[in-house]
Amino acid sequence: MMELCDYKIMLVDDEPELRRMVKDFLIKEGFRAVVTAGSCREARKIYHIEEPRLILLDVMLPDGDGFSLLQELHKDSEVPVIFLSAKDEDADRLHGLGLGADDYITKPFLPKELVLRVKAVLKRVYRVKEDDKESERIRLGDCTVDLGSGLVCWNSTTEGDSEAAGTKVRELTLTAKEYAIIEKLSANRGRIVTIDALCDAVWQEGNYGYENTLIVHIRRLREKIEENPSRPRYLLTVRGLGYKLL
Amino acid sequence: MKIKRGLPGIRKALYFALALMLVIWLMFIGNIILFVVVAIQYHEDMPEYVEGGEVMEALTCTQNGYELSASMQEALTKMQQWAMLLDENGKVIWSYRKPVEIKESFTRSEIARMSKWYLEDYPVYLRVWEDRIMVVGVPKFSMWKYNIEFPISWIDYMKSVWIWIVLFEFVLVLLSVLFFTRKWSKNREQVRMEWISGISHDIRTPMSMVMGYSDALLSSENLSEEEKRKMEVIKHQSIVMKELVEDLNLTSRLEYSMQALRVEKLRPAAVLREVAAAFLSDVNEEEADIDMVVSGQAEELWVRADRQLLIRAFRNLLNNSLQHGQQQTVTVITLRMWKEGGWCCIGFADNGVGYSQDLLRQLHNKKKKKVSQHIGGLNIVQKIVLAHGGRIRFENNKQGSSLCEIRLRAYSVKSK
Repeated sequence: MMELCDYKIMLVDDEPELRRMVKDFLIKEGFRAVVTAGSCREARKIYHIEEPRLILLDVMLPDGDGFSLLQELHKDSEVPVIFLSAKDEDADRLHGLGLGADDYITKPFLPKELVLRVKAVLKRVYRVKEDDKESERIRLGDCTVDLGSGLVCWNSTTEGDSEAAGTKVRELTLTAKEYAIIEKLSANRGRIVTIDALCDAVWQEGNYGYENTLIVHIRRLREKIEENPSRPRYLLTVRGLGYKLL
Repeated sequence: MKIKRGLPGIRKALYFALALMLVIWLMFIGNIILFVVVAIQYHEDMPEYVEGGEVMEALTCTQNGYELSASMQEALTKMQQWAMLLDENGKVIWSYRKPVEIKESFTRSEIARMSKWYLEDYPVYLRVWEDRIMVVGVPKFSMWKYNIEFPISWIDYMKSVWIWIVLFEFVLVLLSVLFFTRKWSKNREQVRMEWISGISHDIRTPMSMVMGYSDALLSSENLSEEEKRKMEVIKHQSIVMKELVEDLNLTSRLEYSMQALRVEKLRPAAVLREVAAAFLSDVNEEEADIDMVVSGQAEELWVRADRQLLIRAFRNLLNNSLQHGQQQTVTVITLRMWKEGGWCCIGFADNGVGYSQDLLRQLHNKKKKKVSQHIGGLNIVQKIVLAHGGRIRFENNKQGSSLCEIRLRAYSVKSK
């Protein structure tokens, strides 16, 4: 299976400096093949030679617009396209997405955001798993939550490098709801996740009124992953807003 | 850059029809006005001919026959007019300056004809005096005579409908004028909007580079702590600029109601929590803290609103508190949400320096005659809330720090 970074990306933008910058970011993030084009004509030519697996496409190009280019390219392929546009009107955004684009990023953007969105689209379209086993496991001090198996593993503290020679003290299983909570929190690790977003993740979307039940589940989860559940170090409460996984 | 918006066919046709009607109407009105003006102008130069009645009054019957006063003789001569008096048989019994080609006697049919038209090309006017007829002639080719006739039924009909015709035409004119002025003013607004949209578009690409490279440099290992701090400022300010550009564009679109609200049902409590959480996650802990309390009733409230715009309004209020916080202290933002009648009330308060008097004046100036100097975030908050039919109040609380209260129409649905 191809790795995420092996997918070839084509960037189409008329501003040379921006092309260079985005290309540098993508390469720095590990993407091995990035090609660029400065116009519709050039993009067509390079597309047929290089056959990229994802296109970052500017809407306003000197010899045409990205919308028509997307339609043209989609006639005989289903290459995912992310628009990179300086137009922020809802109409443009909806038009772009309506044409079948996979995402729409408005300039200016933070490079990290761009890379995240590129990866998200690649993962979704080509169903690649990121070559990053750490993401499957959440490490919280001596405790590791394995999202693959839904197990919480406690390692002995004295062993030092737990990865290699960790002696398993005990293994705990997570309930489905606890799993959903920890999954949601770890996906947004370091950021506050609102109680509403957690309820959406645990129960289905649009449901609300489960806040009190959520508190119960959080408490149980803490009992499993925190050394001292009444003084949590990793799963923190942000009063009035939600929870945060450090 | 240009945004072309072609008129759909039906609107084009309507536009054309209205334009045509307006032109026809204007031409019609114009002609009437022209006719009246010319008539009034010419009226002053119109020869003042002597009328039959005047001649009769000046004519006295003596034993030697008829005698015309000297002044009337003079008047008739001056106007090159002539006069004659016919008896009951059509015979000329008196005349003054009668042209030679005019006969001495007329048949009934001749009299009937001359009463309507001309006599030997002389325009003549008849006046019946007891059993005699006074005929006054004016010079040949000096007057145009025509008789007009209308059926009485038509006159009656016109009498009953004229008011409706006038009303209809009045409405038509009003509509056309309205249509055209709206079209014109819309064009002007659109030009301004497109101009703003163009500027914000042109700024975005260079901004991408400022944001991108400052972010990239921050992770560079070659920078000293001081340089990193400066780079952090550049990055932070570029994000501020990005928000400003977005605000600028949104302001102009809200101003001209070009931004269609994409209304959906949502829980304001959840939206506010989401914004607050994202805000707290992005700022440093030493910078700001949020104290949020939502009443039990307010948790169950739903509003119909544009999600993106509401998020923007909440975020702008939080950002404003952060920007105007007091130095060296943590900005504490107090968020309260409660229910009051059919309203969902949201209070934003902080411990900062408060709104300036100038800003408060500007925000409370309903007429908005003067375009405010700031495209500030608060302006947009106000516009968004008003666009949703809500109410908003900005003030400073007793401690002198800012307090903003938003009210949105809400309805409650009991949770499970």
